Amino acid sequence: MSLRVKQKQGVTFVDALVTEIVSPFQRASTFLIKTVHGVFQNYVVLVHLQRENLLLKQKVAELQKENHQMKEVAYANERFQKLLQFREKISPPVIAAEVIGGDPSSWFKSITLNKGEKEGIRKGMVVIAPEGVVGQILKTAPYHSTVLLITDYSSAIDAIVQRTRAKAIVEGRGENRCQLKYLLRSEDVIVGDVAITSGLGGNFPKGLMVGEIRKVEKREHGIFQYAELVPSVDLTKLEEVLVIPEAPPPPLEEKGKRGKKSPPRSGQKKK
Amino acid sequence: MKRNAILLLLGILFLTFQTTLLSYHPIQRIRPDIILVLILYWGFTLPPVSGGIHALFLGYLMDLFSGNSFGLYTFTRPLLFYLAQLFKGRLYLESFPSQSLFVFVFALFEGLLILTLLAALNPAPLGNLYPPFFTFFLPQSFLTGMITPVLFFFLQKIFLALPQMQRIGSRERG
Repeated sequence: MSLRVKQKQGVTFVDALVTEIVSPFQRASTFLIKTVHGVFQNYVVLVHLQRENLLLKQKVAELQKENHQMKEVAYANERFQKLLQFREKISPPVIAAEVIGGDPSSWFKSITLNKGEKEGIRKGMVVIAPEGVVGQILKTAPYHSTVLLITDYSSAIDAIVQRTRAKAIVEGRGENRCQLKYLLRSEDVIVGDVAITSGLGGNFPKGLMVGEIRKVEKREHGIFQYAELVPSVDLTKLEEVLVIPEAPPPPLEEKGKRGKKSPPRSGQKKK
Repeated sequence: MKRNAILLLLGILFLTFQTTLLSYHPIQRIRPDIILVLILYWGFTLPPVSGGIHALFLGYLMDLFSGNSFGLYTFTRPLLFYLAQLFKGRLYLESFPSQSLFVFVFALFEGLLILTLLAALNPAPLGNLYPPFFTFFLPQSFLTGMITPVLFFFLQKIFLALPQMQRIGSRERG
């Protein structure tokens, strides 16, 4: 062996020939083995990857769900904070309630609350949100109540235009719209003006925001002008509200029974 | 008894869907009236007495959760039920278009009836109530008609799963 190492010649001719003949087989075999191994390894890896992918997808879905839940909690927290700040700002104590349903009919606009007579809610009480007026309690049950929204056709609120103090009645028009009725033609009202509750009529406290004027129409004749109002509260997306538990004045029927007939108070039109 | 309880539950379930799932933005504007579809289906399948009582109760429930204080649905829903009963056996309602058209016509009729009743019962004119008839009530009635075949199909499945209904129904009819 030491002799071979010492020889300058690489291999003998025969050795080289045999090597050259066998090597291609070896190469082929190695290639085949490597290929099979590669395929197998890739397949196994792929299967593994697929499994891993599935697990990751599950993990992503779980995280997304968690993220959504966290976001929902954050949003709810934000809303509650806003509600709490608003609750602290306004002087009378209020009852916080959750909206649990809408009106089954499309002709009328009302919502159902998860609080009722047991929590001190009575018919005629004012319902508000941090952005402004929502409506007033129309029906009460021990643990639930129905709110007539300001957009309902039968709702009427005594209001004033904040900038010019022009008086008007805000009437519901359905579909998140109201109109200012009995607004004198001579009054200066422009688009963007804000309407607030006047405090007249007894039900609604003064100064609550009702909405923003979006359209003003002055016809050639008549003593009144027409204005369309968008409620400051998006009544289609309400989730929580506050009920002002101030005792409303006695209902019209009772008043009528006691003495002379008086004009309908603001809040709900006479039916 | 069991049948009535199931029908009652079905009505409450439909009312719940109507006031919760279908009340949300953005479908709120043109949400279909699934309770109307249920009552009209009852009109074709239930006997006059028990069906009428169920329709009356569902109408009453609607009034209870609605912003109207006249009890309009307590009146209109049984009325529609009996009107549907009048057409029972006279109309071919196996095809989807005929089902849709039938409910669409009834939805329009009820809308006009409610509008008329409101105008008659309110001392003040209701000018602000007429425009929504064309802007949202018409498309809403159309949508109610469109989903009718699907609801009829599912209601049929439910009713077929309760063979007791047929027997008791025929017994009541005599």
